[in-house]
Amino acid sequence: MQKPSLTFSVHPSSGVPIYRQLIDQVEAMIAGGRLVPGDTLPSVRDMASELGINMMTVSKAWAKLEMTGLLERSRGKGMVVAVPRNEGSTIERQAQLKPLTDQAVVRGLQLGLTDSQIQEVFTSSLQEHRHD
Amino acid sequence: MTEFAIDVSHLRKQFGRKVVLNDVTLKIPRGQITGLLGLNGAGKSTLIKCLLGLLRPTSGSVTVLGKDAWDLEDQQKMRLGYVPQEVSLYPWMTVRQIVNYVSAFYTNWDNAWSDELLRRWELPLSDRFGPLSVGQKQKLALVLALGHRPELLILDEPVASLDPVARRWFLESILEMASDERHTVLFSTHITSDLERVASHVALMKEGVILFHDELDTLKDQVKRLRLETASDLPQSFSVQGALRTEVHGRNAIVTVPSASTALVDELQDRWSAQIAVEDLNLEEIFLEMHAQPTSHSN
Repeated sequence: MQKPSLTFSVHPSSGVPIYRQLIDQVEAMIAGGRLVPGDTLPSVRDMASELGINMMTVSKAWAKLEMTGLLERSRGKGMVVAVPRNEGSTIERQAQLKPLTDQAVVRGLQLGLTDSQIQEVFTSSLQEHRHD
Repeated sequence: MTEFAIDVSHLRKQFGRKVVLNDVTLKIPRGQITGLLGLNGAGKSTLIKCLLGLLRPTSGSVTVLGKDAWDLEDQQKMRLGYVPQEVSLYPWMTVRQIVNYVSAFYTNWDNAWSDELLRRWELPLSDRFGPLSVGQKQKLALVLALGHRPELLILDEPVASLDPVARRWFLESILEMASDERHTVLFSTHITSDLERVASHVALMKEGVILFHDELDTLKDQVKRLRLETASDLPQSFSVQGALRTEVHGRNAIVTVPSASTALVDELQDRWSAQIAVEDLNLEEIFLEMHAQPTSHSN
């Protein structure tokens, strides 16, 4: 299913290469639930002409996202958002999550929240996002 | 089909005793859009003229589309497009007459495409060339260079006198033409933001040599500015190997390195017990760092 609402924006004069900007935006859209498994991404040609950027830049971003497993190539549909795979042991997957929770915890402490108050935020966020 | 659209090897060009190009090697595969960036006097225009066979190399070899640039035949020239820095055409001819005149030299001219470009850039067909504005003259030169959909398009400062709207049109036309991955584009410019948008590769020129030639993304991924802060004053001897620029003020240092890695940052952190922040740089900043005073200490 094509999502016409999907909007990307690039800043060519940023120190962050354009392909990384695209990767970051796809990752954020997936993390934020705006892109769900099975959604089709715009083709390399459409993205390049819409954003006025080089096609190689877009294909590089899509290829890197395919390598990390966030996207997969689907025959006839182009690039689609992949179903997340639970690869690696629990400990390994927890280690992947750690840097993100560290950020949240540090921010919570800076805001003067107590341990249990921070845990409350985690719990309510879990309740919001767990659908099963 | 040869692999490279442009293959320059150990090119040297001297005018009398003045060396303008000093051992330039540049290989550009077909289908790439490459930006050539350098200060005035770095040798960009001289390199471009050697590529077009307008100047004869003092030594070294220059091959375009598989043929020696100095001995290009009409058949090869028809596959090239060129926009010079300064456009001079017959002032008494109208825009339409100039297009008809130039297109007659090409058996591969695409009339529909050149009409489309003339319309897009709103060129007044019945006006004479002489009184046109600088920007309009440059637009016309672009139509003349693009009209036969050249396999290799070489542009010397093509956008210098275009307004932002026309520049955007121009960049889109270049991307449109190159989108089949068979057309190769080399353009020199001072406007780094245009280059960042459309070029996949960049060649940085300084004082007659190519300092860097690779993907633009690679350049941005690798060149970083490190800001160090230490507990006590850094010594006079403070330096980082290969740094493009080093600036030391007491306990703070700014070091721009050509290829930053976590290993390098960790090593510097340990060695100087420093807090280090890593900054991304855009093309203009990288370009400035490459031309800055390499070291400055002030304690």
